[in-house]
Amino acid sequence: MTKSLLIISRQAPWSGPGAKEALDIVLAGGAFDLPIGLLFMDDGTFQLVPEQNAAALQQKNLTANLQALAMFGVEDLYACRHSLNERGISPAGLAVADVQPLSAEEVRAVIDRYDQVITL
Amino acid sequence: MSTLHVVSHSPFSDTRLGSCLRLLGSEDALLLCGDAVYALQLQGSALTSLEDKNVFILEEDLLVRNLECPIWATGVDYPAFVELSIHYDKVNTWL
Amino acid sequence: MNVLTLSGKSIELDKDGYLLDLNDWSTEVAQALAAQAGIELSPEHWEILELLRRFYQEFELSPATRPLIKYTALKLGPEKGNSLHLNRLFNGTPAKLAAKLAGLPKPTNCL
Repeated sequence: MTKSLLIISRQAPWSGPGAKEALDIVLAGGAFDLPIGLLFMDDGTFQLVPEQNAAALQQKNLTANLQALAMFGVEDLYACRHSLNERGISPAGLAVADVQPLSAEEVRAVIDRYDQVITL
Repeated sequence: MSTLHVVSHSPFSDTRLGSCLRLLGSEDALLLCGDAVYALQLQGSALTSLEDKNVFILEEDLLVRNLECPIWATGVDYPAFVELSIHYDKVNTWL
Repeated sequence: MNVLTLSGKSIELDKDGYLLDLNDWSTEVAQALAAQAGIELSPEHWEILELLRRFYQEFELSPATRPLIKYTALKLGPEKGNSLHLNRLFNGTPAKLAAKLAGLPKPTNCL
């Protein structure tokens, strides 16, 4: 029986490798058909801000990479509503489509639903 | 389903503990180790929000910092940490 | 350092034979790399290579097999977007070989 995996991505996008590493795990899991979910929390929600410019730092374009999630079969995308609110990020018009904002109660239920959780 | 959340960062410089407490369920437990044991120095309502949770603290990390395990928490050594990891359905380490 | 020499010009490749610089790609380069793999490029190959270059423009990464199939099915229809068709065109390892011929980096999410 394949185990399901939830990745909690809580690092901001441009200052370190954490956000990209979390995404790489998710994409690898998706490529192998693993039931996988991705939850953006804390500074990880900054990854969802629209119209960011990776080129300004000559970095790989994480925003473009995130668009590939659907192609890799990763459709369970969540964001912590508290983290979004705290940072003034509007849940409408996020850089990634179909991300569901969740209350703390709903985050707990999502964590319960997966067999394994990795927080990065 | 129950989750053991493992936190090792100080709450005074980092958001991990705060975020973890927000989503900790009544079936869940929290294990403090490393600099996260400085959470015992929290004051007022921040400390109160810890006291009503299932809290375990790694004893050696208390000892080295000259802190004592409060009555509302349970001190654990490494063998007990392993047992806890098995007892809960899953372990979520806040890396 | 691997080098592909093409009409007097040296093109740098990584240790697995992928282009180091996406901008070095041309149809001649693709043909030369395909010849090394024992493939003669047909129109059916070219449409997949063009699709891969579009994928890279859109997502800035090379697809593993599953997303390659999904993207191909989305853009060219299910009769092209399936593992049978892609395996036949690219010697059974479409994600790796097609990425190489399209001038993309080696897909990282592939074994």
